[in-house]
Amino acid sequence: MSLLKIKNLKARVEDKDILNGFNLTVNPGEVHAIMGPNGSGKSTLASVLAGNENYEVTGGEVDFNGKDLLDMAPEERAREGLFLAFQYPVEIPGVSNVNFMKNAVAEVRKHRGLEQLDAKDFLAFMREKQQLVELSGNLAGRSVNEGFSGGEKKRNEIFQMAMLDPKLAILDETDSGLDIDALRIVASGVNKLRSKDNAFIVITHYQRLLDYIVPDFVHVLYNGKIVRSGGKELALELEEKGYDWIKEELAEA
Amino acid sequence: MNETMTTSILSEFVAGAKSPASFKEIRSEAEAFLAENGIPSKKHEDWKYTNIKRWFDNGLNLVSANDVTFNSIDGVETQCIASVQEDALIGSSAVHTKEAHAALNTSLFEKALVIRVKKGTQVEDELILNQTINLKDGEFSATRVLIVVEDNASLKVQHHYTGSASNSSLLNNLTEVFVGQNAQLELNYVQEIGEGNLMTTTEVSCERDANFTTNCIQLSGKLIRNNLNIRLKGENVETHLNGFYMINSNELFDNHTHVDHLVPHCNSNETYRGILAGNATGVFNGKVFVHRDAQKTNGYQSNNNILLSDDATMNSKPELEIYADDVRCSHGSTTGQLDEDAVFYLRARGLDEFGATALLLTAFASEVLNSISNEELRAILEEKIQAKLKEMRA
Repeated sequence: MSLLKIKNLKARVEDKDILNGFNLTVNPGEVHAIMGPNGSGKSTLASVLAGNENYEVTGGEVDFNGKDLLDMAPEERAREGLFLAFQYPVEIPGVSNVNFMKNAVAEVRKHRGLEQLDAKDFLAFMREKQQLVELSGNLAGRSVNEGFSGGEKKRNEIFQMAMLDPKLAILDETDSGLDIDALRIVASGVNKLRSKDNAFIVITHYQRLLDYIVPDFVHVLYNGKIVRSGGKELALELEEKGYDWIKEELAEA
Repeated sequence: MNETMTTSILSEFVAGAKSPASFKEIRSEAEAFLAENGIPSKKHEDWKYTNIKRWFDNGLNLVSANDVTFNSIDGVETQCIASVQEDALIGSSAVHTKEAHAALNTSLFEKALVIRVKKGTQVEDELILNQTINLKDGEFSATRVLIVVEDNASLKVQHHYTGSASNSSLLNNLTEVFVGQNAQLELNYVQEIGEGNLMTTTEVSCERDANFTTNCIQLSGKLIRNNLNIRLKGENVETHLNGFYMINSNELFDNHTHVDHLVPHCNSNETYRGILAGNATGVFNGKVFVHRDAQKTNGYQSNNNILLSDDATMNSKPELEIYADDVRCSHGSTTGQLDEDAVFYLRARGLDEFGATALLLTAFASEVLNSISNEELRAILEEKIQAKLKEMRA
């Protein structure tokens, strides 16, 4: 059974149509890359799937693991195993990472019928996942993303993903603005979390990330629809030729 | 002033009121102030948003004080003094010659609770004052506290106002505080009085090298007005004054603070924060007054508010008045909504909407709560804050 099935999804923000009939099927074990020029609807797709209420869904269906995703509150989607690594992680002064993760992990484990971790096990679990993205030991006490560098914020997203063990993770331009070292750390974190049971949607503007996180499929999003799909070689083609040739082809068609 | 006249002045404000026989001198000063000024109405700048005068206009009857109870701990002398004994420090702040509610209190209190820590005594345990307000319709009561922490001594006090008084009653408390040289005092107030009305004055005087911290947590009340005045009289005093208020529909909490920097090299830090919901009204008016001689003053003040509804109103007025030329002072005020992006971020990690909101608002409160040194009290307050939040979101 497919993990995610998006059919003819349409969405808008402030009366502007952004997604215009988006289709995608993701099976467990797959990595899908979604690329596209600015304004093509990449981040809107991520926000709509995570349940951001600033975006209005005007049509279509999304089946997530046999359930109607669009019918769920954002927290239910997270508990069911959907994870969005934010393009712009939010700074939350006064809320420590450990307190944040304790709350989040408790909710997710409760929903999945897992036993709660005691304080000692939780801290050990947290330390283990921190190492995955090379975040330093004092992360726990720091306020969520407050005063973090761009790279630290993105690593913190991948850390949170590791803590919550999602079935489907959507990385929304996690690579944008990262230096090569941070990019390697983020990608290696993701690769360690890949398994035959989970799946990733990697939204990116640049082909570079896909050298590190190798996708099974590459899709080009343009004007709110997938206009071309292919294997990982499509990304290289895009890198070389840019998006204009696709726009031109579409204009001719 | 003869006795007939005295009676008539006080009974203008509170039916049946008559000054007790003791403390003659300060009572006659207070009555003289009242005779001249009366109870301030909303026309008075300091009372612009908070109309206490209407309780008096509607008619209040004086009843015996709602006593303050307290625990007995080592190193603290406590006594209730009434007509016979007197304490020279009561009224020595002269606040009753400056402000009507302090004057009214000074005219009418029957007994004063005197708390004294002798020179050099470090009190280990915390002194806990409990005041359960059970005033009925139209009743008025005045209570009086004196806290003296002598030189080199230290003390921590919690003053809890609780109870379920009538919404047409009024309790007036005046606490005078004297913090001696190199002495330390932490004074925490918790105000949770249901539908009652409360008017408090805390008048503090700090000597050289003293350290004074006060935190005021306001959880319920129909109307609460706190006047907090701190006089920094000796050099190198450090003072922290903090407040956290949660105001729901049909509640009005008003905090007026006044810090007087009289001499050089003192620090004052003020943080008041609050959450307002429904048609709540809040008032913050904080004044830091740096006198001409108070060079090298550090004075910081901030007031931050989160409104959970469009109908809530916050009136915030931080004020700095500086007459010295070599000081570091700043003040600021913000009033805004909860950060919706942060709520969504937390929900996207599995927290429900209330859990996310509560986590954010608890963090907002923590800057004030963290300056309460007693962890147990802090934990209790955190629970109360969560409970009030549920009410406010209902």
